[in-house]
Amino acid sequence: MRMLWLALRSLRREWHLPELRTLAASLVLAVVALGVVATLAARIERGMLAGAAELIGGDIGVSSPQALPDNYADAARHRGLQIAHSASFPSVAFAGDQTQLLDVLAAGPRYPLRGTLQLGDAAGRSHIGQAPAPGQVYLDHRALVALNLKVGQPLQLGGRELTIAAELQRQPDGGQLLALAPRALMNLADARQAGLLDPGSRARHRLLLAGEPSAVDAWRQQVQASALPQGAQLITPEQTQERMRTSFDRAGAFLRLTALLSALLAGIAIALSAQRYARRKTAEVALLRALGTPRRQVMGLLLGTLGALAIPATALGAALALGLSQLAWLFASTLFGSAPTSLPLAPSFAAAAMGLAVLAGFALPPLARLAEVPPVAVFRQSATRKTRRFDALYLIPVLVALGLIWAQSQSLTLAGILAASLLGVAVVAALLAALMLWLARRVAPGAHPGLRLGLAALARRRTLSLIQATALSLGMCALLLLAIVAPALLQGWRQELPPDTPNWFAMNLQDDQREGFAQALEKIGGEKLNMMPLAVGKLTTINGQPIDQVHFEDERADDRADRQLRLSWADALPPSNQVIAGQWPGPHPAQAEVSVDTTWRDMFALKLGDTLRFDIGEGSIDAKITSIRKVDWSSFRVNFFLMLDPAHAGNLPHTWLASFYLPPGHADGLAQLSRDYGNLSLIDVDSLLDRVREIVDRVGNAVRWILGFSLLAGALVLAAALAASAAERQHEAALLRTLGARRAQLRVAAACEFALLGLIAGLTAALGAAGAGWWLGRAVFHIEHFMPPLVPLTLAAIAAALVVMALGLVGTRKVSRTPPMRLLREG
Amino acid sequence: MSDSSHPLVVACDVSKSVVGPEGALDILRGVNLQILPGESFAIVGASGSGKTTLLGLLAGLDTSSSGSIHLDGHALESLDEEARADLRRRLVGFVFQSFHLLPALTAEENVMLPLELEGASDARSRARQALDAVGLTSRRRHYPAQLSGGEQQRVAIARAFVHGPRVLFADEPTGNLDQRTGHHICDLLFALNRDHHTTLVLVTHDAELAARCDRRIELEEGRVVAAGAHS
Repeated sequence: MRMLWLALRSLRREWHLPELRTLAASLVLAVVALGVVATLAARIERGMLAGAAELIGGDIGVSSPQALPDNYADAARHRGLQIAHSASFPSVAFAGDQTQLLDVLAAGPRYPLRGTLQLGDAAGRSHIGQAPAPGQVYLDHRALVALNLKVGQPLQLGGRELTIAAELQRQPDGGQLLALAPRALMNLADARQAGLLDPGSRARHRLLLAGEPSAVDAWRQQVQASALPQGAQLITPEQTQERMRTSFDRAGAFLRLTALLSALLAGIAIALSAQRYARRKTAEVALLRALGTPRRQVMGLLLGTLGALAIPATALGAALALGLSQLAWLFASTLFGSAPTSLPLAPSFAAAAMGLAVLAGFALPPLARLAEVPPVAVFRQSATRKTRRFDALYLIPVLVALGLIWAQSQSLTLAGILAASLLGVAVVAALLAALMLWLARRVAPGAHPGLRLGLAALARRRTLSLIQATALSLGMCALLLLAIVAPALLQGWRQELPPDTPNWFAMNLQDDQREGFAQALEKIGGEKLNMMPLAVGKLTTINGQPIDQVHFEDERADDRADRQLRLSWADALPPSNQVIAGQWPGPHPAQAEVSVDTTWRDMFALKLGDTLRFDIGEGSIDAKITSIRKVDWSSFRVNFFLMLDPAHAGNLPHTWLASFYLPPGHADGLAQLSRDYGNLSLIDVDSLLDRVREIVDRVGNAVRWILGFSLLAGALVLAAALAASAAERQHEAALLRTLGARRAQLRVAAACEFALLGLIAGLTAALGAAGAGWWLGRAVFHIEHFMPPLVPLTLAAIAAALVVMALGLVGTRKVSRTPPMRLLREG
Repeated sequence: MSDSSHPLVVACDVSKSVVGPEGALDILRGVNLQILPGESFAIVGASGSGKTTLLGLLAGLDTSSSGSIHLDGHALESLDEEARADLRRRLVGFVFQSFHLLPALTAEENVMLPLELEGASDARSRARQALDAVGLTSRRRHYPAQLSGGEQQRVAIARAFVHGPRVLFADEPTGNLDQRTGHHICDLLFALNRDHHTTLVLVTHDAELAARCDRRIELEEGRVVAAGAHS
């Protein structure tokens, strides 16, 4: 208790010290940056999951070719979950002499549980609605055009006459995202009464649930614990689409990266301030020790003071983080996603804990060294021994930084790249600084007097100069990564989905329809048409062994082995594919060859040289694996797990898969196209594209918010780094002034000194940021051909050097005015 | 201005007051003195009597509140800090009680500092000569922390003499040293004073050291209460 009181008293007395204030401010900033980012990220993630839930119309669901047993719905009701039944099936609609195959969804009154049903009235005005009442139906635009109908008119569907109550503009999709045919939404009771859902129909029944996340999880575990009925499948938000998942992963990685860099910046500022504080305390510790205070008590007092500073600073940081993230949400929730979510408290508390870890990791080593200050140092400070055993303590900040990188990034690759890059920057900066100091001794005698004095000043404070150069380089590298590389990565991501990315796929196109389809598409304004052959088959043997006799470690393999699979072929390796082992088939291979995607390789434990047999149509083909491909599934291009060589696959029974871009407002033409080519299945990926673009924008907005905190943290690093040598600088200035140095001489020397420091820091930081950016772009964000923006980085490096020089000079103004009398006063 | 019959340092009715937390405080009141070239001059007095303040004013490190000080004919109160710095560089050397060597520089580099400020091209060889003169040839590559107190003060004296100042101001030059080492330092200071014909102005508590000077004044509460010469 006494110690606590002493610590509090000590803190009160020392609060005016700039290094303690910088330390406290850095800690608050670290907690705020980590807290705000984690809170926003949690909210954005919730929003994204809610967005995914909108896609399927509920938090979770199950679909089945037969009506589901009641126990699934009963278990959900028991857990307080809302439920909604629906079924989808193809059916032909009649209106006068027009007929059209429709993709019908029959939904109960609670549909949709998540997301909104956007309807249009007869006048074309949009509104949000519910599933249609009995006797009513909603048709989408294509269906209305195809049947030549308007809202309010009747049509025949499933043998019943229904009234078109609204135009179906946007609906949660039941996880399919396929518009195989124009859509209709009808009442579930009507569909049952019409016998459309009777056993033997082609309907797929669906049960969707929504409610508390814990109840949803519990229901999910219960369902997964028992076997699902034959052919039934769980529908989960995470499974919506592989492409969406990649986008979520990327978004998360971006947010974590920015938070992490801000925290590391704050950590550097903390380390610098703690070191300065420790230096200042050396004389006091020596005095306390000389007066008989035991070492343990001295350390207790020091740690108590630090704790007394840390706890309120951390609490303030956590409170500010909560307040700011709530504020950000209030003012900018639309930027992050519209789904209403509560303020998550856990991330701010976790950030507070991480802030304390940062403080302990970065501040402890210099302070722990004070334990070694001997009482005799009160007579001569040079008596302070330098014990090597405390060097190991400097591993603590490295370990804390690595731990932080690991905990925040949750990705070994991201963590590894960041750690390696920052470590590289630190090593290069220290080496460059050491080289400069070495040169300083040799070049100085013949150099310009200002440069000579500047170099001498750097050389005089050898250790401090090394620390300053390293800290400034690390700080600037983190800032450049945040301010220049991260936006460039986001831009790269955005450019992957240019506005004319193919937004429609057409399946089932026959050989003789290709030419006519291409012409018809051109007429309705379609662009960027690309066609790929598509054969449907089954994998039957691997190296001659029937597939049903092989045991696979990967659970997904059995499920995939049962399913029909799609194969294609092409002369050249398609874009967004990369051969990582073996070779892409040549023009005329002796034996049929197949190229396998890494997912398949892992799932079926395949390797180069294995032979796979596929049954396709009436025949079969044996193909040897000659290459393994890495496919970018987020590219929105048509991609295949399996690709055969064209020489052997060309004669297999196949159809064509077309992808094309249809500008907005041209969808009407598609109705005619689907009438002319009745066998075609059209798939709309526009909504998916929009959603990914939306995610990119949300992340961009969040990153901009975070950048503000990072800039503050960067400014603190700069202030702490420059302040690190302020005391020495002031003493030196007084001495040099006493010896007759002119103020201009001191200023030119300081300018040279800071320009050199800034140049080393800027150069190393720009190189580090460019390298890390290039590496991150490829390995973490999988952005093809990503090049970090070298010109802005170079300009930023020069600007950084100038800023360091300018701030150094501003700081030196006061120093160069140090009255020389100070030396006489100091004795 | 370097005529040996003209005083090198002249103080006329010099006063210095500062404003402290309890109002204005007079540190020096109406001090008058003249110091001739080559002379050794001691300022003595109890702690707080204004000795160090007077030394600072005479050396142009600070300005007086009233009165005038001339250093080698230059009226210090009419010069700004930059001009005074220029004067110090050309005319003045300093020795401090706490030596004030820069810890990251070797003995030789510390001695080179005033020459580097002048932009002298032969700084290193002159610094070596200065170190030879104080008997530290073998210690020139040592850092201050590797030197004893006496050796550090000898380096400081070498630094003070290296650029050939006309006047050397010393503030308690033996204050941090034992008696024997203090003796050696005094011998050295007076030898250099004699050999280089450098004026020596020193502040000291040490009666023996003061007695070795040509003249001395004693301060009490900022006033000169006694002045005397030794034969």
